[in-house]
Amino acid sequence: MNAAAAPVADVALSLEARGLAHLYTGRRGLQPVSFTVASPGAVAVTGANGSGKSTLLRLVAGLLRPTAGASVLTLGGVAVAPAARREVVGFASPELQFYDEFSALENLAFAAEARGLADPHGRARAALERVGLESRAGDRATALSSGMKQRLRLAFALLHRPPVLLLDEPGSHLDDEGRALVDRVVDQQRRCGLVVIATNEEREWRLATERIELRGSGLGHPA
Amino acid sequence: MPPNGSSSAAAVWAILRKECRSEWRTRYGLNAALLFAVATLTGVSFAVGRLPDRTDLLSALLWVVLLFASLASLAHAFVKEVEGHTMTLLRLVASPTAIALGKLLFNLIFLGVLELVTVPLFLILMGGPPPRWGAFLLVLGLGSLALAATTTLVGAVVSQTRGRGALFAAVSLPLLMVVLAAGVSGLRAQWDGNPIGADVRLLAAYAAAVLGASVLLYDHLWED
Repeated sequence: MNAAAAPVADVALSLEARGLAHLYTGRRGLQPVSFTVASPGAVAVTGANGSGKSTLLRLVAGLLRPTAGASVLTLGGVAVAPAARREVVGFASPELQFYDEFSALENLAFAAEARGLADPHGRARAALERVGLESRAGDRATALSSGMKQRLRLAFALLHRPPVLLLDEPGSHLDDEGRALVDRVVDQQRRCGLVVIATNEEREWRLATERIELRGSGLGHPA
Repeated sequence: MPPNGSSSAAAVWAILRKECRSEWRTRYGLNAALLFAVATLTGVSFAVGRLPDRTDLLSALLWVVLLFASLASLAHAFVKEVEGHTMTLLRLVASPTAIALGKLLFNLIFLGVLELVTVPLFLILMGGPPPRWGAFLLVLGLGSLALAATTTLVGAVVSQTRGRGALFAAVSLPLLMVVLAAGVSGLRAQWDGNPIGADVRLLAAYAAAVLGASVLLYDHLWED
């Protein structure tokens, strides 16, 4: 087990959504949803296209402000404010893009440095090794294939060994080996932390111990 | 679990280094800015010759060249993150204030490099009277700080809007008029041997006000 694969701190954490909603222009987005999940474990968020799965993950990550309700993330009994969620959350999503002019290693080293982690290059190398990208560390992000970029997103999410992993369609663009990597990452994380997976892939939601199905309007029934 | 001071400082430093490295590799802003400055000064110099006695024109010309040479790059600081879809990555590793401060520092360095080339060239080609260096650099420095702070703030605010190009110009114009007016007046006063206190105070107060507003505003940006 390399450094990046070391388990996160085994601290009790819980995530609660209380009528959490975010409506974009046109009243589309995440309709009010309530749930409580706790670590250790993995929860899958499923639902039709446009039902708000990605929006829910962005809300939990503190990237969006809810238009109604709230999400409460507590770590060791202490609530983590949305503005500080980036410290404890690892986020991988198709919308996450990297700097084309930098290599895979430089992108991760920048992220590690900005997070204030010790030995940013060492952490970045360990994260790349964990997702099987060590041989492409020096390649610019723009030269990576879609599957490699998806692995890089996973490495980015794991970089600071967060207790909470938010994975939006983690298996997209991945080959069989890549999907097995996702299985291993989720399996390891759910033993010592919390994983939230937004997906409609059966293979992925079966990795979870709980499932939340969003019943938003989706594409077919605009509100 | 609020971010502590040391992690914020690390984020600002990391973003500043990232901006410098990115600019070094892409030469997105500096080449265009230097081309504009050198071409403008050369063109004006050919057209009107040296202007040793026209301190009013010299003051205005220097600020106009600096403003227009730098504006495209300064305005692009946040837009490039939005258009490159890297804003999410940035927001996941640093607070909005750290991001904005990192970009503000980069914009200041960018202006400094631009001035390092433009000012000597300007003095040689336009034949201006020898500046009172202390006063000259004070006005230039405070004007640059006010210019960078204003464009960074406006760039951050409009970066996620649809008509950001037009909006940046519309919002920046009235805000930059104060900087331009005080900067031109200050440079002219130092060349004419007049006191520069009023202009320096105005530039300093304006820069401080914009920086203060920025620190208050940045943490509330980009949440929707």
